[in-house]
Amino acid sequence: MSEMAVIETHRLTRSYRSGPETVHALVDVDFHVDRGEFVSVVGPSGSGKTTLLNLLGLLDRPTTGDLYVEGEDATDLDDRERTRARKRFIGFVFQQFFLIPTLTAQENVEVPRLLDRDPSTPRRAADLLTQFGLGNRLDHRPDELSGGQKQRVAIARSLVNDPQLVLADEPTGNLDRKTSRRILEEFQRICEEGVAVVAVTHDELVEEYVDRTVELVDGELSR
Amino acid sequence: MNPLYERLPWLLMARRNVSRTPVRSVLAALGIVIGVLAIASLGVFGTTLQYSVTQSLGSIGNDVTVSPATDQGVQYLTDRDVRDVQRAVGTDTVVPVKQGRGTVVYGRQRTLSPLYGIDRPGEIFTAADGRIPTPLRSGVLVGSSVADSLGVHAGNSITVDGKTYRVKAVLEQQSGISALSPNGALVVPPAAVNQTGYSEVVVQASSARTANQSAMAIKSRLNRRQKRVTVFEFSSITKQISNVFDVVNYFLVGVGSISLIVAGVSILNVMLMSAVERRQEIGVLRAVGYQKRDVLFVMLTEAVLLGVGGGLVGVLLSAGAGLVINQIVLGQPLFTFSTANLTYFAAAFAFAFVTSLLSGFYPAWKAANRDPVVALRS
Repeated sequence: MSEMAVIETHRLTRSYRSGPETVHALVDVDFHVDRGEFVSVVGPSGSGKTTLLNLLGLLDRPTTGDLYVEGEDATDLDDRERTRARKRFIGFVFQQFFLIPTLTAQENVEVPRLLDRDPSTPRRAADLLTQFGLGNRLDHRPDELSGGQKQRVAIARSLVNDPQLVLADEPTGNLDRKTSRRILEEFQRICEEGVAVVAVTHDELVEEYVDRTVELVDGELSR
Repeated sequence: MNPLYERLPWLLMARRNVSRTPVRSVLAALGIVIGVLAIASLGVFGTTLQYSVTQSLGSIGNDVTVSPATDQGVQYLTDRDVRDVQRAVGTDTVVPVKQGRGTVVYGRQRTLSPLYGIDRPGEIFTAADGRIPTPLRSGVLVGSSVADSLGVHAGNSITVDGKTYRVKAVLEQQSGISALSPNGALVVPPAAVNQTGYSEVVVQASSARTANQSAMAIKSRLNRRQKRVTVFEFSSITKQISNVFDVVNYFLVGVGSISLIVAGVSILNVMLMSAVERRQEIGVLRAVGYQKRDVLFVMLTEAVLLGVGGGLVGVLLSAGAGLVINQIVLGQPLFTFSTANLTYFAAAFAFAFVTSLLSGFYPAWKAANRDPVVALRS
């Protein structure tokens, strides 16, 4: 086990039963991400990228194999414990942003901590948005923001809990090139602050910014 | 942030979600409004009806009549029985009555009329015209409808069974039920009725409760060794009437409840649609660390907001309806806020709350238990 690893998998396998057949979405994946590392996962559609992301994000459970979060075995945690670990440890960024349309930008960033009744949360959300250049958009609803602004709100949301790991599923998939660069620069900046980022992507542009790229083909890690 | 939302953070999300599809939310809440309105205003209407009937019954519930136990062969009540009754009841008014029939002649008109031989009629009757002497020795008192049909006034002379009496008073018309209705009768001195002993004794207590105590006391005193009298409490009639009204009220409120249940189904529908539409959003909440329970809370709060909002509007509207009903039926609009009615308002509101909670539960439970991986799949 690597000293620096934020998350590490060992022979991680995820199979689905689809009618009479068993589909192997991931097979024996050994993968790790170090603190502050920016890793991209590439591969054709259906190669298991999203399955890997769901497993790393503790949203899904492996069929076999082990998963370690900061050196601790997280393979067999129950739903409640995994939810707690996600909150403490992991931030998510999605291709479709998935902001809550009825909440303002600032409230959207507060969402992960909303139920904690922590009076410092609004301040922190506003600070994060300001860091991402959205200090003048705090009270805007998502439909009043551009795609790039929405994704920056989503990144701010993923950071509000001070995670060790941010998982991004096609973070630039819905953005133009210029905006994509801006978002990727933000990810680089996050990594410099010690947060690891794993981005699943088709976008070759991402490779210019990452420390390392791994490729999935038919559920197996090939590089 | 608003301090209320700081206390109940999921309320913020729930409230924003309710206002996301305003027409749908208003329609769902409208169902609750109608349900609450149905329950509360039917309940208020029932109480109003009950109150107006009870009022027209007047103080009948305070009356007790004591009559001879004819099934035991007792044909009449003696002076001693009357004294015993008086001792048994203490300060209540005791009026012994001799009943008979007599031919009444006034001018050229003659009619057959019941006669009440009462020594002190002033204790239970009031005069509309003239004055009631105590004791009644020589004159007669004429019931209002007899007076009307004969055209008699106080001061006229009439003949009863061949003897001529002066009319001392015409009695006030009595409405409702009473132990002794004087409207169609003549009240004469006891000696004028050809009967041994008394045919009944009317006891008037100050309240229905003391009337009941008096009835018990009379029974235990007069029927101790053998049954001499039968005692009839008029409060048993009023009790029956109010029982009937209770049943009617429960029925009305039951009918109203059906509409509230229908409203619950519409909340269920709205919440299910909302849970489906917000599948991915709920997936995000789960991903960022919301426990199933938290999602359940957010969704339930939404349903309850619809119920509470609809319930409040419903209670306000039914209070308005109650004011109108009570103004029209009783002329007392403030009767709307009597204890019984406040109970109906509270019950209707509580029912709305519970209905929305129950109908919100299944969609909320479903949303909370959806696998986030499936929910986030686009």
